[in-house]
Amino acid sequence: MGCRAYECDGLTGYRVAPELVLLPRDAAQVAAAVRVCAQYRVPFVARGAGTGLSGGALPVADGVVISLARLKRVLEVDPVNRRAVVEPGVTNLEITAAAAPHGLYYAPDPSSQQVCTIGGNVAENSGGAHCLKYGFTTNHVLSTEVVLPDGSVVTLGTDTGEQAGPDLRGVFLGSEGTLGITTKITVKLLRTPETVRTLLADFPSVRAAGDVVSDIVSAGIVPAAVEMMDTLAIEAAEQAVHAGYTVGVPAALVVELDGPVEECDAQFALVKAICEKHGCTRLHIAGSPEERAAIWRGRKAAFAAVGRISPDYFVQDGVVPRTRLAEVLDRIAELGRDAGIRVANVFHAGDGNLHPLVLYSAALGETERAEKLSGEIAELCVEFGGSLSGEHGIGTDKACSMPKMFSEDDLAVMQRVRDAFDPHNICNPGKVLPTPRLCGERPGKYQPHPLEESGVIERL
Amino acid sequence: MNELASSSDSTVTTPTKLRPTDLDGVRAAVLDTQGPIAIAGAGTAVDWAGDLGAVSSVLDTTALSGVITHNPGDMTVAVRAGTPLRALLDDLAAHGQHVALDAARVADGATVGGLLATGDAGPAALVHGSLRDLVIGTTLVLADGTIAHNGGHVIKNVAGYDLAKLMHGSYGTLAVVAEVVLRLHPVPQRTATLVLPCTLAEAATHAATVLQGPYEATALEWLGGAAEGELLVRLEGTEAALDPRVQRLADALPGATPSDERHSRRPGSDDSAARLNGSWERHAAAVRGAAGSASLRVGVLPSRLPDLIRSLPGVTAVTAGLGTGVGTVSLDPAGVAEAHALVHAAGGTSVLRSRPAGAGPPAWGPPPSAIAVLRSVKNTLDPQGRFGPGRFDPWFTTMRGGST
Repeated sequence: MGCRAYECDGLTGYRVAPELVLLPRDAAQVAAAVRVCAQYRVPFVARGAGTGLSGGALPVADGVVISLARLKRVLEVDPVNRRAVVEPGVTNLEITAAAAPHGLYYAPDPSSQQVCTIGGNVAENSGGAHCLKYGFTTNHVLSTEVVLPDGSVVTLGTDTGEQAGPDLRGVFLGSEGTLGITTKITVKLLRTPETVRTLLADFPSVRAAGDVVSDIVSAGIVPAAVEMMDTLAIEAAEQAVHAGYTVGVPAALVVELDGPVEECDAQFALVKAICEKHGCTRLHIAGSPEERAAIWRGRKAAFAAVGRISPDYFVQDGVVPRTRLAEVLDRIAELGRDAGIRVANVFHAGDGNLHPLVLYSAALGETERAEKLSGEIAELCVEFGGSLSGEHGIGTDKACSMPKMFSEDDLAVMQRVRDAFDPHNICNPGKVLPTPRLCGERPGKYQPHPLEESGVIERL
Repeated sequence: MNELASSSDSTVTTPTKLRPTDLDGVRAAVLDTQGPIAIAGAGTAVDWAGDLGAVSSVLDTTALSGVITHNPGDMTVAVRAGTPLRALLDDLAAHGQHVALDAARVADGATVGGLLATGDAGPAALVHGSLRDLVIGTTLVLADGTIAHNGGHVIKNVAGYDLAKLMHGSYGTLAVVAEVVLRLHPVPQRTATLVLPCTLAEAATHAATVLQGPYEATALEWLGGAAEGELLVRLEGTEAALDPRVQRLADALPGATPSDERHSRRPGSDDSAARLNGSWERHAAAVRGAAGSASLRVGVLPSRLPDLIRSLPGVTAVTAGLGTGVGTVSLDPAGVAEAHALVHAAGGTSVLRSRPAGAGPPAWGPPPSAIAVLRSVKNTLDPQGRFGPGRFDPWFTTMRGGST
């Protein structure tokens, strides 16, 4: 019965109870467990905090779940070399907490960072609001100790950017648990920026807000973060957390700059001027850390908050070239109108990563239409030259959409590399690449994760 | 059987030269030939890593040249892999954008594909990393003619395996890189370099000051001979902000002389040289190495780099990235084997770059712990061992011996 606790991850529409759940205490026990699985060809699925949104940690029937929850030590913080060595069960935010006394922090900041683990971040190549400037998990992991699907223990990557042969670390990062299990991770730490400036600006249209982002980019500014919310998302967030957003405006932008004080001041003045040039109807500058936190609270609350304006919703994750945002949003609105379904939009405007929230009512029988619309939106992103996923992963959820983005040959080559790591197909089988068995099934509706409902985690 | 005959093979004939002009041409070149193939770009790193074994064909990528798409607003560019990065930078400069990679051989005409395959990077790696951190998609042609895309045209993308990374540091042994999509960055409005004469040991202390402070240096390198040298610290920023930032850093580094490289630092472009701080030119020259010397690229925990470099035998020139832990040393070819062992003992990695022809020092140190899976990847992508024979000897040689 205890195994039921592991039957899904953050994508709760898919559920499979595993046969067995293992809770090893160290890397040697992980390796021993995998060796047994390899010997008897038993499929296994690694699991961190279970906050993933694509069913990447969905158990395999008749398989084993290997939880990394007990490998949660921060092994070393090295302020001189600006790095930390941690076990996979350490949460993203715990790394920054351990580094903070040295004036350092760990840059990638997925919005579930209070609970999501670094092992899961490695598997998903997690991003966050600040990855436009600072990059993704793959840019911040120097090396990772990995238990390969045959149970052998290797280190991928080195202590520097130099490599001993092709970059296997880079292939492992973002492989969604299909190439092995990470048991120790060495991450880069950055110096905490001297200054951070944050503003919240309202605009008469999504297009005007999009033009602001374009002008910021053309001015040669790389903001730490640029986030956009549309009117529905603002309404929901404001109802939920009263963060000071203006209800009723068509679009709001959050722009954050960081760096040396002189740079921040110069660039911030320019950003303000750009906002005003595009008809900004209200410009709120965070005057204190508390005000900055409030702006971010509103932004980060948007996901869970739409539950206040809709009984049910799907969370989508797609990417388009940034310059096509306005066009794509028009198309999404059109698709929504055709389907008779509302779509709220929250997105990382700087890098074109959309998170449309498809609002529907299961009670009114809208589930199937909403599900179809959500899938269409992801595939629309591909049509616009973008990607099926910016940060939530392919997992179980989108494996069947992969042929929209990649040719049969593209996928076959990925499969060949997978086979090189896992010749017996026992390591998180059925995820990432489409399989006939999986693609006959249908995805389930989005349901808030219990931790999300209790307010422990938020989603971007 | 060993398809990858050694260079002592007495039947060596002049390899057939293949010079495809497009993706289909690459595919045809691979399919229409048999036997081992060397993938060649501009030839700026032709003598790096293991000695190339005997090949029946050379696939020259230099006619695969030019931009495929560049949408300035998206800050991405797709190029054919044989495009010299220098030429691409010239095109991008008109838009105030660049590829944030300043490897020394960019100025020599190195191609985008070649820079990727050799995992090369310059001082800017302190902030921007190497091409692995800037490549967002590739189109590959495998030894069996399969064309495979991965990644895409958007900087944020987690769909599918990131096989572009696999090409980074592959030295032409896994696939032909035909097209590359790169993330771009704005060219800074202004650049300045502080130069501080000091020994390597002193430089390490100064480097700690720079890294622990709020200065946000974009390059931090010591350049010198066996003992004396200079520390170079680069700052980049906006017109208004740079002067006070340079002043703050100069205050923290007594004795440092600042230079203003106003609007001029365009990595790899010829016209930048005259306006550049001369120290960076000397730095690039030291990275390229000297005739008669072997050039060894080393990487180790940054705090260990100064002591490691001082322990290497017969060193005549050094560049040391004190924030990155990556250094390039020129040394007597006779000392290379010992140097590999010393780097390995310090927990680092090393690869031999240019060296006198026929000198024969080992290119690589001991294999990494993941060598078995590396060989599996090589086997699955290039089962006949057609691409780049010898480049990873003895690491891949052992595989062939073991599998036959």
